[in-house]
Amino acid sequence: MAGALDGVKVLDLSWGIAGPLGVLLLAEQGADVIKVEPPGGDPFRSYSGYAVWNRSRRSVTVDLKNPEGQAAFMRLIDEADVVVEAFRPGVMDRLGIGYDALHERNSRLIYSSCPAYPEGHRLADRPGYDALVQASSGQQWEQPGWRMGPIFLHMPMPSMGAMFLVPTGILAALVAREETGSGQHVTTSLFQGALLFTTQIWQYVEKAPAAFHDLMGKSYPPGIHQQMLFEVADEKWVHASVMSGLIPTKSQDELLGLEDAPDPFAFMAMAPEEREQFTMKRRVAYKGHDRDVLVSNFQAHNHAIEAVITMEEALGAGATPHPQLLANNMVATVEDPELGTTTQIGVPINLQGTPGAIQGPQPMPGQHNAEIFGQLGYSESDIAKFSAVRA
Amino acid sequence: MPALDGVLVVDFGQYLAGPFGPMVLGDLGADVIKVEPVTGDGMRLAGKPFFGCQRGKRDIAVDLKTPDGLAIALELIERADIVHHNMTAGVASRLGIGFEDAKRVNPDVVYCNTWAYGLEGPLAHFGGLDPLYQASAGLEYEAGAAHTGNAPLYYRFGMCDAANAMLSVVGCLAALYHQRRTGEGQDLWTSLFDGGALFASDALLVDGEALARPRLDKGLHGVSACYRLYATQDGWIQIAAVKEVEWASLCALLGVPELADDARFAVVDLRADNRSELEALLEPLFLNKTSMFWTRALDEGGVPNEIPNDTNGGQQVLFDSDNVALGLVAEYEHPTMGKMRQFGELIGFSDTPGNIGGPPPRVGENTREILEWLGYTDDRIEKLSSDGVIYWPRADYAWTV
Repeated sequence: MAGALDGVKVLDLSWGIAGPLGVLLLAEQGADVIKVEPPGGDPFRSYSGYAVWNRSRRSVTVDLKNPEGQAAFMRLIDEADVVVEAFRPGVMDRLGIGYDALHERNSRLIYSSCPAYPEGHRLADRPGYDALVQASSGQQWEQPGWRMGPIFLHMPMPSMGAMFLVPTGILAALVAREETGSGQHVTTSLFQGALLFTTQIWQYVEKAPAAFHDLMGKSYPPGIHQQMLFEVADEKWVHASVMSGLIPTKSQDELLGLEDAPDPFAFMAMAPEEREQFTMKRRVAYKGHDRDVLVSNFQAHNHAIEAVITMEEALGAGATPHPQLLANNMVATVEDPELGTTTQIGVPINLQGTPGAIQGPQPMPGQHNAEIFGQLGYSESDIAKFSAVRA
Repeated sequence: MPALDGVLVVDFGQYLAGPFGPMVLGDLGADVIKVEPVTGDGMRLAGKPFFGCQRGKRDIAVDLKTPDGLAIALELIERADIVHHNMTAGVASRLGIGFEDAKRVNPDVVYCNTWAYGLEGPLAHFGGLDPLYQASAGLEYEAGAAHTGNAPLYYRFGMCDAANAMLSVVGCLAALYHQRRTGEGQDLWTSLFDGGALFASDALLVDGEALARPRLDKGLHGVSACYRLYATQDGWIQIAAVKEVEWASLCALLGVPELADDARFAVVDLRADNRSELEALLEPLFLNKTSMFWTRALDEGGVPNEIPNDTNGGQQVLFDSDNVALGLVAEYEHPTMGKMRQFGELIGFSDTPGNIGGPPPRVGENTREILEWLGYTDDRIEKLSSDGVIYWPRADYAWTV
């Protein structure tokens, strides 16, 4: 069955994480994506995650600074619905393929830009790697850690936010185009991606009492959810949650084998020191339990809990995959042209009427030059000229 | 006119992963009606997280467990382009607003359920909170550098709630576009659990074995000697000396040009292999000068860098003149909490600008207006109110927000 975005043609000039991964969400709902790389290939190919973030698309290599290369690119633009780029503001204009030029060529084209910072911001000319936006946006200061000061976020938070904003903007513009018949320029940035995740916490509320801000405030040791992390046997960890939506059939303390456990109301009524003492008893009790046995016991009695594992373990490295990851069809085998047989995450959006699917592995640079440019009437020698690495 | 002008979203969600997606659709111009229990959204008590997911919506408070309340819900669904909620398995169908019920009154509806775990499978019947999915996707393990013996670390922004909501936005818009082209509606689902996995999508196995990827050091500074935070004389600096030329420039600026040609560090792979050795050499050099000295020097030398910004819990960002001028900040006035600020426009549109509406609504803020729109008479509305089927704010308003 065709995907929801069947027939939508996307040219992906983006690099890094947000663009390629945002485009992936479109590709796996049926969009036909062509990655447009510089001759020699995207310089970020060696990055971990690249093979996942750039799968489900074809690749052409073309030198956009070469007039013949640009002419060939313009032929692709004629047929495209969407173009995605992630350069600093102004770079595409200098190449002669900015929004105005492409809109004039194809008025139905949706042109998506995702630089590090929005155009017109004083930071717009700053270099734009993810960690730099973590720093400038304040994410690093906001993250509590095992020392004071800013903490490096292993998860590239600004990029992961922008990754959602890129396809959201494109799809909203596609919906609007059904009414207007016209394409437009859709812009977001890594900086706005970082803002996306602040929604529950970064607010100014004029008449709020101090406690309003304390609730979700930064603290040492790190806040309320952190206190639900427990070390179990063999230096492993679990994260227990307070809410499962289900009615527990045995209490946490019963399952831990703790005698003389107070009921929740008695616990809340305790003096802070007494409560802390009991919490310590709990922490000690957790350490006596095997992780996987504890997790299945807790779950069997309707307690929400997860083992703290690596994503590789969830995918099945050294063990069986997480059973829910399998149930969600999120463990995929992909034959990668560079890496061989790989296990990657599946498709995270589940349209039931038009199911999405992985469309294939990451392409090699220029793998589809002959196929795609050939269809436009270019000969092999033409293609070689504008796809060659410049001396 | 905004991109989603004329799109009606009926939002039965509560807490976070349900309501945040409709709020984003509202920012893009959709008309979002929040259908709230007469007892209030459970998240209202928490204040901030509630505010963060509700701006710009209209609100009708209805008891869906009464026949009259259900009838109102179905009349709204009949007019909806998108129905959206985060109820756990079976709840919507028991209430009479499951996908099959919705399709009966609105055959081409787009119907979205955001789950905790998923549609089926061993844990599908569980609800759950964001941190569980930070755990199951390996985010906490990596964030705390647990491989070094540290405890795992929770990211304090509700990442997986937001991921679930945003996946639902992308899914709903893809389904809406399909519906606009073919006339066919459908149901779709996303989950917190899958959202977490997407954040860790740089993980992959080759022949069943983990492929190495960069990890944090024990001190949580970064993922390589050239892509990390360094403590300075008076603070911190984040560097990103990614290219070879930047590495050479960094060595020169630090006064150790000989390191650039050192056999242990000559190329990026060697700098990764000998990372702790290299970091031990660089750390004391950064401590000799201030952050401002370093950012000026590194800028001059072409080495990407940034001083980490302490925003005082985001307040500075919400009052930053560039952010305000560019529309990245939204301000509106709440009836009891006064002026509120939150992030503004996340996506810019050249032709169909977004439309960030007013403050988060109070319980049943627009109940009367919405029922009048559905054709209910004043008498009928008063009767439903005295029967406790509907609610709108009056002197007995019991919530602070």
